[in-house]
Amino acid sequence: MGAVAVFVGEGRSRTLRNATELLWAMTARDLRLRYQESIFGWGWTLVRPLALGVVLYFALGKVLGASIHDYPVFLLTGLFPWFWFQSAVQMSAGSFVGNGGLLKKVRFPRAVLPLSVVLGATLQFLLSLPVLIGFVLVSGYAPDAHWLFLPGVMLLQFALTAGVSLFVASLTVVFRDLEHLVEVLLTFLFYGTPILFSVDLVPESYRWITVANPLAPLMESWRDTLLYERWPHPSLLVTVAAAVAALLLGWTTFRKLEDDFADLV
Amino acid sequence: MTSPTSSDGSAREPLALRAERVSKRYPMQGRAPRELKTALLHPRETWRAWRDRKAWVWAVRDVTFEVRRGEFFSIVGANGSGKSTLLRLLAGLSRPTTGRIECFGRISTLLELGSGFHPQATGRENVVINGLLWGMTRREIEERLPDIVAFAGLQEFIDQPMRTYSSGMYVRLGFALAAFLDPEILLVDEVLAVGDAKFQEKCYEHIERLRDRGVTIVMVSHDLPAVERFSTRAALMERGRMIAIGDPHEVVGLHLERLAATSPEIRRALEEGIEQRIRESPEALREFEEKLAEKWAAEAEARKE
Repeated sequence: MGAVAVFVGEGRSRTLRNATELLWAMTARDLRLRYQESIFGWGWTLVRPLALGVVLYFALGKVLGASIHDYPVFLLTGLFPWFWFQSAVQMSAGSFVGNGGLLKKVRFPRAVLPLSVVLGATLQFLLSLPVLIGFVLVSGYAPDAHWLFLPGVMLLQFALTAGVSLFVASLTVVFRDLEHLVEVLLTFLFYGTPILFSVDLVPESYRWITVANPLAPLMESWRDTLLYERWPHPSLLVTVAAAVAALLLGWTTFRKLEDDFADLV
Repeated sequence: MTSPTSSDGSAREPLALRAERVSKRYPMQGRAPRELKTALLHPRETWRAWRDRKAWVWAVRDVTFEVRRGEFFSIVGANGSGKSTLLRLLAGLSRPTTGRIECFGRISTLLELGSGFHPQATGRENVVINGLLWGMTRREIEERLPDIVAFAGLQEFIDQPMRTYSSGMYVRLGFALAAFLDPEILLVDEVLAVGDAKFQEKCYEHIERLRDRGVTIVMVSHDLPAVERFSTRAALMERGRMIAIGDPHEVVGLHLERLAATSPEIRRALEEGIEQRIRESPEALREFEEKLAEKWAAEAEARKE
């Protein structure tokens, strides 16, 4: 006989409204708590991309002499979006495993755990965006019509990040090593994505890396719209397809595993 | 007495919960080394774990029962008899291995009070998030917030981070929150053993009010006096099986008798008329139950060898 659990009435079908309210409440709490006792508070979100930007500008721009025009702002337009993606995926990996007590005791829309991490990282990115825009303006780039595409780029990155995070978080419950593996994979991804360099600088024989990497067109699009007064390259459609695939994969993986979370965490 | 349906006239009430031949097994994860390094350094244990990889522990076996709306149904049994696992299955927190569970109504669980509390966040913030976790909307929570705070008696502290709370305050806020969730079916697991006697009494009074309002309650408890005082029906679990369902006094009596059968000491104690004491003191009972659990563990060990 198969195992069945049937719940009739609204007892089990939580309204979408409850899930959204929960998502926002958790995100708000975690953001507030993260910087609550620190003096510099929100500023810390800026420090990581800015510090790395300074180091890389010195190492690659000055010492190795990378020949990219306006290298500092070039770096920052890659680093800010990258940290959004990276911190969301890295932190959501442990979001189910780290909330075992909750998963064992209460039945709630469990997807809010990784999604609130993603939402939190997104809000942090949005709050750091004015600083990035400030750098772009100071470097002599003016807003133009192409900036109108930025919300699209953001939405796309949000969807991709959410899908990947949900997938990683769910799979980490059954395969704990993933939390550590993700850290390594993200390092590879960082250097395999045009953040420190642009795609056209990649030698022909290695170009497949950037073609296979759905983050590459995304990063290029940030720069195309913000700096180069260009519409995104059609290869951005690869990222769109990847985002849809990630959301589907993340959701199906989550649905398949979620009933066993309470027994596994 | 072993009939799964109620005999006290409530059979005509609509169903609230039904469990049909429900079983739950867990993999026996005794000494299985998971880490590769450990596995290589301890080949013998690794081999044993590999050999026993199909070994399961059946926490709940073939349990069938029904609870009708408005009933107060208690489940008693020694530690490790599977009653908490059963409650988790009923709550939908884990899936039965085989069998079928049906639930008719909005369920609320009192499994561990305040398990969703974040120590750094304020009491107010925690109440809101926990209410949301339990499926309420924000507005419903805000409406109940003053009552919740008053019930817990935490008016001055509600905007303080919860790490500044005493454990008693923690529990009080947890129960107050759960008490105002307005459930149709309430699952209670042993939570009332915490807090001081006065607050415990307050909790029981509240549960009684819920019962009188027609809320269906399923409670797992070692507190036999409370079981006898509040339940309309009770069930006894032993090694994963539900071995009796019926009148609470009879079930509690049978439970004590089975406990007595496990050790001559308990038998003697019962014969010396201490039964009354056991019925009235959860501590004395717990001691006996622990002995019973030990005996089962020893038996299981003996069977394996």
